Amino acid sequence: MGRSIALSLLPGAALWATFFLVPLLVLVYTSLGDWGGAGFKFIGFDNFSRMFHDAVFWKAARNTGLFAAAGVLIQVPLGCLVGIILAQHIRGWRLFRAILFIPFVISGAAYALVFSLFYNPRYGLLDRALGAVGVTTDHDWLFSTNTALPAVAATFVFILGLIVVLVMAEIASIPGELYEAAEVDGASPFQRQWYITVPLLRNVLGTIVLITVLGYLALFDLVFILTKGGPDDATVTLVLYAYRAYSNSAWGYANAVGVFIVVTGLLLIVLIRRAFRIGERAL
Amino acid sequence: MTRSRVVRWTAGAGYYGVLALVTVAALGPTLWVMLSSFKTSGQVLSDPSLLPRPFTLQGYADAFSQVHLERFVLNTALYAIGGSLGALVTAFLAAYPTARYDFRGRNVVVGAFSLALAIPVVGLATPEFFIVRELGLFDTRIGLVIFYSALFFPLSFVILRAFLVDLPVEIEEAAIVDGAGYFLLLRKIVLPLARPALATAAVIAFVGIWNEFFFANLLTGSVDHQNVQLALASFRSQFGFNVSGALAGATLVMLVPVLAFLLLQRHVVEGLTAGAVK
Repeated sequence: MGRSIALSLLPGAALWATFFLVPLLVLVYTSLGDWGGAGFKFIGFDNFSRMFHDAVFWKAARNTGLFAAAGVLIQVPLGCLVGIILAQHIRGWRLFRAILFIPFVISGAAYALVFSLFYNPRYGLLDRALGAVGVTTDHDWLFSTNTALPAVAATFVFILGLIVVLVMAEIASIPGELYEAAEVDGASPFQRQWYITVPLLRNVLGTIVLITVLGYLALFDLVFILTKGGPDDATVTLVLYAYRAYSNSAWGYANAVGVFIVVTGLLLIVLIRRAFRIGERAL
Repeated sequence: MTRSRVVRWTAGAGYYGVLALVTVAALGPTLWVMLSSFKTSGQVLSDPSLLPRPFTLQGYADAFSQVHLERFVLNTALYAIGGSLGALVTAFLAAYPTARYDFRGRNVVVGAFSLALAIPVVGLATPEFFIVRELGLFDTRIGLVIFYSALFFPLSFVILRAFLVDLPVEIEEAAIVDGAGYFLLLRKIVLPLARPALATAAVIAFVGIWNEFFFANLLTGSVDHQNVQLALASFRSQFGFNVSGALAGATLVMLVPVLAFLLLQRHVVEGLTAGAVK
């Protein structure tokens, strides 16, 4: 039996070791080295001190934080609102749930193509639509330092499908008697949602915030294709910043940024789980 | 009207108002681009109106005749099918014993495999590149299939294990009494029972690999091995003269995961819910 179990675990363990464990160890070790085309030299924490003294790194960290904040402050509440509405099984709820899920399965590369056209000042829909309502503009949304970041954020804050699905699943597990009792006591539909549903969503809300924040920590495709991090690094993200170092064969330095990304991710998991008390039952 | 009917009517109007707004915001630009793929390049570049005038399939013809979209589609299909299969087989083999048997070190194994889900893998770009290169797998199709198997192993493991833990054990016990060995049991009894969870993990992995850009970019060198997402990213330069071809290609590339999702919606919804709660 023991042999069968070991044999059964082996292929997965091999993949896990080769593509998760070993890369993680290599990442941590080589982040302490000057590693490029000319070879590897151990330099301690020099990469990290260089990183923390680079203004572009802080810009990348700030932008990544702003994208994540847009996700948490706009996308998550909006998704929860839609989830609460659809969970009441109003007419057409299945259709809306399906339609709103579609953007979630569209790739970053396709989205980048869509929005490079949408935001185009000469033949994009946005400037023409603004023109139609009397706001004449030929603003280049993606290539002005003050609008590039909000313009990129606006492409993804309406991707609500996953949040809607998770909120609806959680609401489905709330006992119906709670709502009936509240209705008997004269609570309005709004009061019933606000005082019963919202507090009971704490657990799933924590999960949603976690998934959202970790997703934006890894944000790359969309900005890489849409703006290359520009203009003037206005939309550069941490992963894009690491990728630039990697492309310049500054591998040790790229890995120091990688360590920062991985550690930030793990810290955020611990913090968010604690803040939302994930794992403790709400009911 | 009574007060409660007024309240209900107002709430209903508010609900559909919110839904209409987010639907337009979420899908408007994408739908506009899909409709624009039936325009001529000339109309795309001069007239952003919603409807194509005239209606043409020239963009679709160009996507195949000029950029040979079919090459990238075939590559991507191979990566997505091969990678999903690899992830599913390895995850199923690992999920079963950790769900059913209480062996020494089991919790360590479960913890280690699940924790891989928490790592932002894009942070590991450089090590992944050198490992793939040292294994002789850089810029090969089999290399990407193996890499994607690994990338979707943790999520598949978590989904399959959650399902197997809840699966009643009686049928397996009957088969063991009948003398079935471990792997026979796995193949003849457990595999068919686990079909719903396998479908869930399969569609999530398939869509994820179909849409993958970062590692496809990192681990391939030649155009021959690129996937559709890399092709899309290069469309803007390749199609500098033929924007309707780029839009037609983008539309086709988007439709594959959208159709996969719409057909297997129930599985995706269940799987994501199960995966997120764990």
